[in-house]
Amino acid sequence: MEKILLKNLGRPESHTIGSYLGTGGYNGLKEALKHAPESIIQMVKDSGLRGRGGAGFSTGLKWSFIPKDPTVQKYLCCNADEGEPGTYKDRGIMENDPHLLIEGMIIAGFAIGASVSYIYIRGEFVFGTRRLEAAIKEAYEKGFLGNNILGSGFSHDMYIHRGFGAYICGEETALLESIEGYRGQPRKKPPFPALSGLYGKPTVINNVETLSCIPGIIEKGPKWFSSIGPEKSPGPKIFCVSGHVKKPGLYELPLGTTMRELIFSHCGGMLNDGKGVKAVIPGGVSAPMLNAHELDTPMDFDSLAAKGSMLGSGAVIVMDESTCMVKTALIINRFFSHESCGKCTPCRDGTPWLTNILKRIEYGNGRSGDVELLESLCTNIFGRTFCPLGDGAVMALRGALKNFRDEFQYHVDHKKCMVS
Amino acid sequence: MFSDKAKEEIRQVFKKYPNKRSAVMDVLRIAQRERGGHIEKEDMEEIARLLGMQTVDVNAQAAFYTMYNVEKPVGKHHIQVCRNISCSLLGAENLIKHMEKELNIKVGETTPDKKFTLSTVECLGSCGTAPMMQINDDYYENLSAEKIDKILKDLK
Amino acid sequence: MATVKINGKEVTVRDGTLILDAARDAGFEIPTFCYQADLVGVGSCRMCLVEIEGQKKLQPSCITPVLHGMSIHTETPTVMSARASMLEFLLANHALDCPVCDKGGECELQDMVYRFGPHKGRHAEPKFKFQEKDYVLSPVIIKNSNRCVQCMKCVRVCREVVGANVLGALGRGDHQEETSFLRSFLDCDQDGNCIEVCPVGCFMRLPYRYKTRPWDLKGKDTICPYCATGCRMVIEERDGVVIRARAQLGVGLNSETLCARGRFGFDFINSPERLTTPLVRRSGSLEPASWEEALGLIKDNFAAAGKNIGGVASARLTDEELYLFQKLFRTALGSPNIDSSARWDPRAVEGFISATGMTEGGASVFDCMESDTVLITGAHLSDENPVTDYMVRRISAGRSMNLVIASSRSMKLDSSANKTLRHNAASAGHLLDSLTLCIYSESADRLKDVSGMSRLKDIRLEELINRTGCIAEDILAVAKKIAASQSIGFLAGTEFIRYPEGLKGLALLKDVLKALGKKVTVIPVLDRANQRGAWEMGVHPGFGPGYSPVSERGMGCTEMLEAASKGELKAMYVVQSDIAVMHPDEGFARSALSSLKFLVVQDCFLSETARHAHVVLPSSSFAEKDGMFTNQEGRAQIIRKLLPPPVKAKRDIDIIRAIGETFDRSFGPKNPVLVLDEIRKEIPMYAGVSLAFNNKRNVENKLDLKEAMVMGADRGAEFAVTDFDTKIEPEAGEYPFVLTTGNHLFHSGALSRMSPTLTGLLKSAVVEISEEDALSLGLASGDKVSITGRYYEARATLNTRKGSKRGIAFIAENYADVPVNRFFRRGEGIPRVNITKA
Ligand SMILES: Cc1cc2nc3c(=O)[nH]c(=O)nc-3n(C[C@H](O)[C@H](O)[C@H](O)COP(=O)(O)O)c2cc1C
Ligand code: SF4
Ligand code: FES
Repeated sequence: MEKILLKNLGRPESHTIGSYLGTGGYNGLKEALKHAPESIIQMVKDSGLRGRGGAGFSTGLKWSFIPKDPTVQKYLCCNADEGEPGTYKDRGIMENDPHLLIEGMIIAGFAIGASVSYIYIRGEFVFGTRRLEAAIKEAYEKGFLGNNILGSGFSHDMYIHRGFGAYICGEETALLESIEGYRGQPRKKPPFPALSGLYGKPTVINNVETLSCIPGIIEKGPKWFSSIGPEKSPGPKIFCVSGHVKKPGLYELPLGTTMRELIFSHCGGMLNDGKGVKAVIPGGVSAPMLNAHELDTPMDFDSLAAKGSMLGSGAVIVMDESTCMVKTALIINRFFSHESCGKCTPCRDGTPWLTNILKRIEYGNGRSGDVELLESLCTNIFGRTFCPLGDGAVMALRGALKNFRDEFQYHVDHKKCMVS
Repeated sequence: MFSDKAKEEIRQVFKKYPNKRSAVMDVLRIAQRERGGHIEKEDMEEIARLLGMQTVDVNAQAAFYTMYNVEKPVGKHHIQVCRNISCSLLGAENLIKHMEKELNIKVGETTPDKKFTLSTVECLGSCGTAPMMQINDDYYENLSAEKIDKILKDLK
Repeated sequence: MATVKINGKEVTVRDGTLILDAARDAGFEIPTFCYQADLVGVGSCRMCLVEIEGQKKLQPSCITPVLHGMSIHTETPTVMSARASMLEFLLANHALDCPVCDKGGECELQDMVYRFGPHKGRHAEPKFKFQEKDYVLSPVIIKNSNRCVQCMKCVRVCREVVGANVLGALGRGDHQEETSFLRSFLDCDQDGNCIEVCPVGCFMRLPYRYKTRPWDLKGKDTICPYCATGCRMVIEERDGVVIRARAQLGVGLNSETLCARGRFGFDFINSPERLTTPLVRRSGSLEPASWEEALGLIKDNFAAAGKNIGGVASARLTDEELYLFQKLFRTALGSPNIDSSARWDPRAVEGFISATGMTEGGASVFDCMESDTVLITGAHLSDENPVTDYMVRRISAGRSMNLVIASSRSMKLDSSANKTLRHNAASAGHLLDSLTLCIYSESADRLKDVSGMSRLKDIRLEELINRTGCIAEDILAVAKKIAASQSIGFLAGTEFIRYPEGLKGLALLKDVLKALGKKVTVIPVLDRANQRGAWEMGVHPGFGPGYSPVSERGMGCTEMLEAASKGELKAMYVVQSDIAVMHPDEGFARSALSSLKFLVVQDCFLSETARHAHVVLPSSSFAEKDGMFTNQEGRAQIIRKLLPPPVKAKRDIDIIRAIGETFDRSFGPKNPVLVLDEIRKEIPMYAGVSLAFNNKRNVENKLDLKEAMVMGADRGAEFAVTDFDTKIEPEAGEYPFVLTTGNHLFHSGALSRMSPTLTGLLKSAVVEISEEDALSLGLASGDKVSITGRYYEARATLNTRKGSKRGIAFIAENYADVPVNRFFRRGEGIPRVNITKA
C-alpha cells in the first residue's frame, strides 16, 4: 500500500522543509487556499476521516460545529500529548515529518477560521519539540505561516505549548486548562470546546495523526481517502506495535487490517519462537485486551468495538504466553492511579484501591474474595467518573479479568504465578 | 534570579499567549533548568511576581506536573527508566535492579556525588524501542544491561 | 420553563434549573459534597448522580440543567448503590479518627454514611497519609488533610467569595491536598470561611480544638457586634464560656461567611478583664462598691450638674438601649447633649445622613447591586466591612455590570472592579464633582433646576481632576458609563464623615442623577454594628428619634469635652465608648475628661476613659442581652441573649433605666420588648419592624427581608450639608506622607482589642504605604520603621500595598502600641508624617 503518513520516514533530512517540498509538500495547503473554508470542511467530512486520538469522532463534523462569525477569535489545538502507554506514532510524525503536521494544521486553521494554533506536546518529547520548532521557523520563512499566507489574505500563527508530565492533559478539556496555566483537570461539558474552549473561545482539538491526514485529503480528494480501508473507518492508520514481536515499530496500514496479519505478516511474528500469543491490547492500555482466539478481528473502530474493545490510539501491545496477567493488570492500573488527576471521587480513590489489591495479589498476599472485590469496584467506578480516564482504568482491568480470571484466582489461591 | 538569557526567553514566551498566566509552565521549566534540575520556593515566588499570580497557584501548577521537581534537587544526570507495560514486557524491572546495583542507590535516590538520580517513570512514548530510559533530555533505547553499563561509564 | 418528571412527579421549573435544585424543590433529597449554591459548580464528588431516562450513564445533578421532557430518577437501586459506593471510596483513604475529630457529631461524611451506607467496610489496604499530625495553617486555622473529601469548597470559597487566593490544590490524584503556599498564612484574611464550608474535620478552628463535642454546646442565633454589615451568626457556649461563632449556609445576608472579627473575635466576652462589679473612686483610686452606692453617687452628682451634663453612648448598644439613653437625657435629665461617637463631627454626620439619603429609609445591598453601575467610594470595604466585600464580589461575578471603586488605598475587591480610581487623600469630593461636571456638560439643559450645580459654576474640570490625582481618561470613562446607566448604586463609607468636604460632592451627584431620571440607591457603609440604629434612635445633638427636629441643639462629643475643659460641663455619662482612645485629639480628650467634676463610665472593661471616671458601672456584651441592631442598610435584626452578664454586671438597658428611675420613678419601659413597642410608636420609620419576622432564612440566598427594613422618616429634621474644608497640613519636605486612618481587618473599635484571638493575629501596629513609595525609600514589607509627625513619633512594622496612591501613609485606629490619634491636633487638619527605617 502507498504510504501516506509515514511516506517520508527514513528519507534523509525528512524533517526539513527542503525535503518536504521535494515530495510535493505544502501542495495541499496551496490547494486549500483556493477554496472557501466551508468547502474544506465539506471535503474532510466527505473523506470520512475519524479522529485518531482515541474517540474516533468525525473530524469534519467537529470542525463544522465552530461558529462562523468572523469577528470571534477561534483556536486550533493539536493534541500531541501522546501519553497512552504503547503509543508513539505522533512522536514519529513530529520527529520525522513535522511539516506534514504543520501543513495539516494550517489547513485546519484556515477551515475553521482560527488565526492561532497551539501544539500541546508532551514535555518528555524534547527532540520532537526541537524538530517542530525548527520546522515552524522554516514554515514562517517560506510564508506558509504568519501574515497573509501565500497572498491568500489568511493569517495564522502557530505556537508550541509543552506539557510537563501529566497524562490527563491528553484529555481535551484538561489540555485547554493546561494551556491557560491551570492544573490539568478536565472541565465540565457542556459547554463543548467548539463553542467555548481555549480562553472561552471556539476551539478545535485534534490529534497529530488526524491533522496529518488533512494535506492528503485536500490534495488528492476525499474520494481517494475514503477508498482506503473499510467504508465506515476509512483512511490509513499508524499502528504502534510493541511487546513480544520480532519487529516492533510503526506500521501504516489501512484500518481493518487484522491483528494476525499485523503480527505475523508485518512484524515478523512473535519474539520468542515457540511462545505463542497470549493476549493483545489493540488500542493503548485503556483498550480491553483480546485473547489469542480473537486475532482475526479487523482493527477498525467498529469491529473492535463489537468485540468489546476499541481502536483507541492504535497502540498494539503483544504479549506472549510467558506473560503474567496479574502483573500486566497491576502495571496498567498503577499507571492510571498515578495519572488520576484527583478531581473526581471514584477515579481518585478507586484506582489506588485497585492498585493496592492487585499489588497484594501479585506479591502473593491475595485474599479470598479479592477477585470479586476487584470486579465490584470496577462496577462502582465505571460510568461514574468525571472524565474517561477512570473508565479507561476499569476497561483495562475488566478486559484482563474477563479473559484471564482463572489466572487471577490462581494467584490468590496459591500465592504465586501460574505462568512464571 | 533569572539570567539575561532566561529573561529574554521569558519575553518570547509571553508573546505566545493572550495572558501571562499561560506562560507559567514554560517559565517554571526555564526556572528549573536555570537551577539545574529543580525548583525552589524563591523561584515560585519570583514567578508569581512576574506573572501576577498567587504563589500558591504557581506551586499548585508545579506540583501537578510530574516533570517539575519541587524542592527536590536531582543529580547532574537524571535517569528516568520507563517501567510501563511495553518496557516491562521486555525486562525493564531487571534493568532497574541492575542500575540500582551499578549506581549503588535505590530508585528515587541521588548518588552522594550528586551525579546521578535514578527514577522510574510511566510510559515515555518509545514503546517500539523498549526497554528504554531518558537521561536529562535524551532517550536511550533498546536497552540491555551491557548497553547501560556503557552509557553510565560514558557519563561518569 | 421546562416540565420534567422527577421520580414520576411532574414539576415545572425555569429553564436552566439544575436537576439537583429541581429535585430538592420537589421534595427529594440528593446528597452532595462539592455542590454549594453560591459557588461555581464543579461536579466532582459524584454524590449527586441521578438516572435520566434514555441516558446510559448516571449524571451529576449538580451541574446538569433540566431539559424539557426529561424523566429523572433519584432513588433507584443504581443511584442508591452509586451513592454508597462514592462514600465507600471517600472512606477508603479517610482517617476515620472520628473519636478525636472536632467535627464528630456534625460531620457531613458521618451523616451521609449513616444514611446511605456502606454499612460494611471492605477497604483493608494501607492508607495514604498526608501527614502524621494536624498542622497549623494560621493562628486560627488548623488542618488535617487525612480527613479531606476533596470537595474543594475551601479553595473555591477562598477564591470566589473571599477573593483571597490563599488556598490551592497541591499535587494530584489521591495526593491532592488543599493547602496554602508552603503551609504559610501570608495574605490570609483569617476569616475561617474555609472552616465553615468544610464538610468534614479537615479545616478546623484552632481556638476551638478539643474544647468540646458539638452536642454539648448551647447556641443562640444572633448578629455580629463588629461592623454594620450585620452578619447573622450562631454563638455557642459551654459551661458559661462562649467557644464558637459560626455562620449558616443560606441564612442571613452573609450566608455561610463571616470575617475574622465575627468568627474569632467573640472571646472578649470571656475575658478575665471583664468588669464584674461597680467601682467608685475613693481617695483617688477606683474600688469595688455596691450598686446602691454607685447609683446614689450618680443621683447626687447628676442632680448637682443640672443641665450641664452630657452623654456619649456607643453605637454597639442595641436600639432599645440607645433609645432609652436619649430618653434619659432629653426627658429625665433635661439635657440635649448626647452623641454616639467620639470620632466624628455631628455636623458631618448630619451631612452624611443627608447625602446618603438615610432619612428616606432602608435600602438593601442586593438591590443596590442590581444597578447598572455601582460606585464604591469612601469605604475600604475589604478591610472595614469584609462581608459586604464578599457580597459585592459574589454578585458582581454573577452578573455583568459596571463596578467602580474609588479609593486612595488599593483593596482586595479591586480585582472584581471594572475600573478603579485612585485619588489623593481626602479628595473623594473632587472626584465626585468631576464626575458630576462631566455628566452635566452632556445634559446641562435638563439640569438647570439642580440648585447645587451653582457651586461648580466657575470650576474648571481640569482643575478638579488635577486635585483628585486620578487619570483624566479614567474619570471620563467612568462618567460616560454612569451617564449611560439607568440605575446607579453607591456604597458610600465613613471617609465622608472623616473628611466631610466630600459630602457636597456626593449629595450633588446623587441629585444630578435623580434629575436625569435615573434610579439611585445609596448604601451608607458603616463600621459600628449599630451606628445607623444609634442615629435613628436619636443619639445625636442635632436630631431626635427618627431624625426628628429638636427644640434645642445640644453639644456633640467634642463640644462637650471643650465645655468640660472650660469647666462649663460638670458631668458626663459615657456608655461603652472609649473617648480617651477614640477621640481624634487624644491629649485634649484626656485632659478634658480629667477636668470633669463627675464622670460615669459604663463598660465591659476598665477602658482608658473609665480610668478617668468617678463611678464605673459593669455592663454587658452583645451576648448577654436581647435587642435589635439596625445595620447599615437599615435592616433591623435581633440579637439574642446567650449568657447572663458576669457576676454583678448588668444589662445596659437595666442600668440606664435604673439611673432614670432615680430621677423619675416611672422612667421606662421596663424591658426590651416594651421599649421596642415604644420605639415603634414613637418612630414611624420603625413602625413596621417587629421581632416576629426578623432573622428569617434566605430564600435562594437572595435575602428578602424588606419588611424588616426601616421606612422613610416622615417628619425629618432639615439636614444641611455644611461647607467643610478639610485641610491637609501643607506639604513640607520633612513630612512627605499624608497620614490617613481607619479600621483594620482584624480590629475595629474597642472590642477587638480585648479579644485575645484577634490580638494574637496582629501583635503590633502596622503602617501601610504604597509599594512604589517603599521602593523609592529603600524599604520593604516587614521592615521596622519610625513614623515621625509634628507631635508624635511611633514605631511600627511596614506593610506595602501594590497599587495604592503614593504619598499616603495609613495607620489603623485600633493599635494599643501606636495610638494614631496622637499624631492629630484639633483644628489642624490632616497631619503629615515621615517614615524612616528604625
Ligand atoms: C485520559 C485521556 C487521555 C487522552 N490522551 C490523548 C492523547 O494523548 N492524545 C490524543 O490525541 N488524544 C488523547 N485523548 C483524546 C482527546 O480527548 C480527544 O478526544 C482527541 O484529542 C481528539 O482528537 P481527534 O478527534 O483528532 O481524535 C485522551 C482522552 C482521555 C480521556
Ligand atoms: S476520572 Fe476523575 S479523577 Fe480521574 S482523571 Fe478524570 S476527572 Fe480526574
Ligand atoms: S454535588 Fe454533584 S458532583 Fe458533587
